[in-house]
Amino acid sequence: MALSLTDVSIRLGGGMLIHPVSLSIKPGEIVTLMGQSGAGKSTLLSFIAGDLEAPFSASGTVRLGGAALNDVPPEARHIGRLFQDDLLFPHLTVGENLLFGMARGPGPERLKMMQAALAEADLAGFSERPPHTLSGGQRARVALMRALLANPRAMLLDEPFNKLDADLRAQMRDFVFRHIRARNIPCLMVTHDRGDAPDHGRILRLKGGEVKDA
Amino acid sequence: MTFSLTRRALASLAALAPFIGAARAEEDWAAIEAQAKGQTVYFNAWAGSPQINAYIAWVAEVLKERHGITLEHVKLQDTGEAVRRVRDEVTAGKPGSVDLIWINGENFRVMKQEKLLFGPFAGRLPNFALVDVSGKPTTIIDFAEPTDGFEAPWGMAQLTFFGDGQKLATPPLSMMDLLQLAKTQPGRITYPAPPDFHGTTFVKQVLVETIRDKALLDRPTDKAGFTDAAKPMFDYLDALHPHLWREGKQFPPSQAQQKQMLADGELLMALTFNPNEPANLVASGELPATTFAWQNSGGTIGNTHFVAIPINAQAGAAAQVVANFLMSAEAQARKADLDIWGDPTVLDVKKLPPAEQALFKSGDVPGGVRFPADAIPEPHGSWVPLIEAAWLERFGA
Amino acid sequence: MARTLRRLTPLAGALPLVLLWALPLLLSLAITAASASDTQAWRALLAHPQLFPALFLSMFTGLAATLTALLLTLIILAGFQGTALWHRLQACAAAGLAVPHLAFAIGFGFLIMPSGLLARLASGDASPPAWITVQDPWGLSLTAALAVKEIPFLLTAAFAALFRGDAARLMDQHARAAASLGHGKGSIFLRIIMPQLLAQLRWPLVIVFVYGATVVDMALVLGPTQPPTFAVVAWHALNDVEPAANRMGLAATLLLTAILAMAILTVHGLLHASRDMQRRFLTAGPSALPAPRIGAGIIAVIISALLLLSIFLLLPLSAAPRWPWPGILPPLTGGTAWATLAASPAPLLLSLGLSLAVSAVSILIAVLWLETQPEARDRWLLWLALLSLAVPQLAVAGGQYRLFLDVGLGGKLAGLFLAHLSLALAYVMIVLSGPYRGFDGRYMKAARALHASPASALIRVKLPLLKAPLLTASAIGFAVSIVQYVPAQLIAAGRFATLPMEAVTLSSGGSRPLTAAYALALTLPPLAAFLLAGIVGRPRWR
Repeated sequence: MALSLTDVSIRLGGGMLIHPVSLSIKPGEIVTLMGQSGAGKSTLLSFIAGDLEAPFSASGTVRLGGAALNDVPPEARHIGRLFQDDLLFPHLTVGENLLFGMARGPGPERLKMMQAALAEADLAGFSERPPHTLSGGQRARVALMRALLANPRAMLLDEPFNKLDADLRAQMRDFVFRHIRARNIPCLMVTHDRGDAPDHGRILRLKGGEVKDA
Repeated sequence: MTFSLTRRALASLAALAPFIGAARAEEDWAAIEAQAKGQTVYFNAWAGSPQINAYIAWVAEVLKERHGITLEHVKLQDTGEAVRRVRDEVTAGKPGSVDLIWINGENFRVMKQEKLLFGPFAGRLPNFALVDVSGKPTTIIDFAEPTDGFEAPWGMAQLTFFGDGQKLATPPLSMMDLLQLAKTQPGRITYPAPPDFHGTTFVKQVLVETIRDKALLDRPTDKAGFTDAAKPMFDYLDALHPHLWREGKQFPPSQAQQKQMLADGELLMALTFNPNEPANLVASGELPATTFAWQNSGGTIGNTHFVAIPINAQAGAAAQVVANFLMSAEAQARKADLDIWGDPTVLDVKKLPPAEQALFKSGDVPGGVRFPADAIPEPHGSWVPLIEAAWLERFGA
Repeated sequence: MARTLRRLTPLAGALPLVLLWALPLLLSLAITAASASDTQAWRALLAHPQLFPALFLSMFTGLAATLTALLLTLIILAGFQGTALWHRLQACAAAGLAVPHLAFAIGFGFLIMPSGLLARLASGDASPPAWITVQDPWGLSLTAALAVKEIPFLLTAAFAALFRGDAARLMDQHARAAASLGHGKGSIFLRIIMPQLLAQLRWPLVIVFVYGATVVDMALVLGPTQPPTFAVVAWHALNDVEPAANRMGLAATLLLTAILAMAILTVHGLLHASRDMQRRFLTAGPSALPAPRIGAGIIAVIISALLLLSIFLLLPLSAAPRWPWPGILPPLTGGTAWATLAASPAPLLLSLGLSLAVSAVSILIAVLWLETQPEARDRWLLWLALLSLAVPQLAVAGGQYRLFLDVGLGGKLAGLFLAHLSLALAYVMIVLSGPYRGFDGRYMKAARALHASPASALIRVKLPLLKAPLLTASAIGFAVSIVQYVPAQLIAAGRFATLPMEAVTLSSGGSRPLTAAYALALTLPPLAAFLLAGIVGRPRWR
């Protein structure tokens, strides 16, 4: 199912932060939105995810597979997110972090899925470790796996590689894009670094409140 | 009896030293007054009443003016605080922080037995001659313990009940009447839980009214003797309690609270040790003008309160001057004045010169004692701990 | 100044705290513990008819009050998180914290007693109903009052934890991440915020529990009487004139301390044993559970109403000698209580001066420590501070009294000051160390790079940036100090009439207007201190 925005605009107090924009992202497509910091990229993601807070306000419609999401609370939108920080929950182990968003069901089955995800992230045997004992790259992989195990119908990435070292970055990019494409879901990534964008994807630029093709 | 010279005894001798020689001389008192000048007396006294505190402040003013003595009122919630402090200081061999202490009964007995008191001094105070020792024997026998001059009488107390005449037309003038009243008005009568002083006194009054051989009360007793003698007392309490406030399973912790419950209309009556307290409370507006007081027709327990000087007092001379002034007709009359405090005098007013007699006003006031009765001396001190322990065991949990 | 500060070795920076606070505290605790060897006293204690029922009552009131306060605090936090009222809640909690326990207990009693305000509103009878409210045999009134009074404390502690350094931003991001994983606001609170918060509320909860199980003044006003709570049994024994009873009281205090420690360890053990259950709950998977907004609103309104009514009720009662049944409010016919209070302003002035000095010196000593000592050394210090608060105050005061008597500080102003400092500095260290150590050192480096001396960088950059926590800590130190009664009575031999001394001794006479007036008088200074700290401490850049 596609993720689409129709005439979405965002206001900050009295002023217009983002002028009405319409946009559709196909399943399996990764769209990159570029822009300076403070341009409102992350704010747009918050609106899509459903946790936009004052002093921002927005209008327009967000649809996922045709259904409008505007009145759906964030937890029911089935939109996965990655942030600048990995945001692994410190009071849970790596394995428990992975279980956190996984649908309810029989215990053994959930554990099996968790172990499989760990193996996919090249972290087999790390399930009992507290997150802070992992390296930055390992944590970033756990964060992605955690988001994907919740079975999202779309992904939003907010400068996900920003805090990683340069050599890790390329590796992580491939890892993230490979897994998202494998799920065949739409994905919107915001970044200020063109190098983050996938090689053949669509790239948009947010400048002066206008979203244009780059 | 063997005499052992303990550190405490030595200390008491040392403290007496300045007075031993002078005591023989006639000009003894003048010397003490001279020595007292400029001293500061820390008077440790219960301070739960603004009237009493104001009275002590007046005493301080007079003493400053006439004798050059600074009187500091160390405000106590409970006299035991000062007793323990003196004991601890004497044990630690430290100079005393208490010069004069408002005291009687158990506290006095303990201090006297542990030789924590300076004296004898009371008999040497000039104003002691005015005290009505024959008419008011409790001025020299404190809870069956002879004072032996280790404390100077200050005021009189007698167990007194009070209530609102509009709600209680005929007061119960005996414990048996009280039982009948409790049966007809269940839940409206109670008494403070011993070992609260007032609560213990209530139970002692029951003991006095129920015991078969009253003569036993003046003598020391032991556990076996007490259990036997107090059986009618506990029979009475067992009969009374089911009709009390909260069915006698809970008791107010203090007389202060009981008084408040009376004022609020929760209870029909309260009790006090100061016969003039109800009148005082009417005057201050805390009780309605229809309040009146009574004492059980067979007499109620009465006693005297005193001032004593600890053995390690730093201002012993000035403390004696204060104790002497407190017994003066002027100070006693002011203390007895209902508008000031209303504490009955220890003096024999009839023996005073007419001018001083006139200081003692009398007359019928709202809240006054409508049914007075004689004072009955306290039972011997050995009864008290036994009463409290037995009460606690029976009704305490 | 700069040179003196530089010469201030770590040793010199630690000395005031060690000499004036830690050493006396440790010695006092040691003296109390040493008295445990008196077998006679233990035998008397074990034979005491009220021993077991009173112990049970103490444990029950302490545990029930703590759990109730915790549950309600968590519901309030869960319901208010992310709403516009969140920050206002913080101010309300600080105001509630400022109300002294005893003043609240007195007002709460006037509210719920059979002849109290609620009964007057509810009953039309000729005489008060036979409600079993205050001094009920099960200790429920006491439990309720303790729970209500501790909620502002737990809220304040929770806010401190949630706003320490980066915690607020991080918690917000965690919440967003959890929402993207399918969790509703209620589930996020239960599974993300609460577990992390509870870990930080451990010590505040221990303090609340110990306070509730050992409190004497509130128990005397609201607690059961036959038997009373165990702390009251111990208190009566300690106040007896017979030395044997005193020793039994000391044994009782130690027994209570030991049983409290056992109870805390038991709870700790139960939590540990149930870890698998907790884990299963945390990782059960997404739940749409919403935030308990309505429940939290109702609870917040009831708690605020109880706190406000209890304090406001003191006002008419302080101006009326009598409150005849069934009038809703007493006829305001006398201001004698206030006249009595005004006639002797010395205790108020002494208390204000003493507590201001105690608070200022506490801050000074704490800052001196924090500036000169490595952070690793805070650990044992905070342990000692928490221990001193977690040991029943009766036990600390008893040892302190012996110690000060022996070194000649009994009856002296210096002794009184040190006794006040003991409690105030413990609170100040606990409150201040977190924000102080969490201070971003780069500001200081930036200031130094701009050629500021260490002293001027401290005074012109660091302390102003830490204004809010410094002021809050001072207000807490002041509030803790000004309501202390025991040091003035025990340590200072009653020679220095402080406001609480005056209040407690006068209340023993049972005059309601006087009690109410002094309870109010005791409430106003801490309230003013917290308000002032809140107003002055507001950052300029917000």
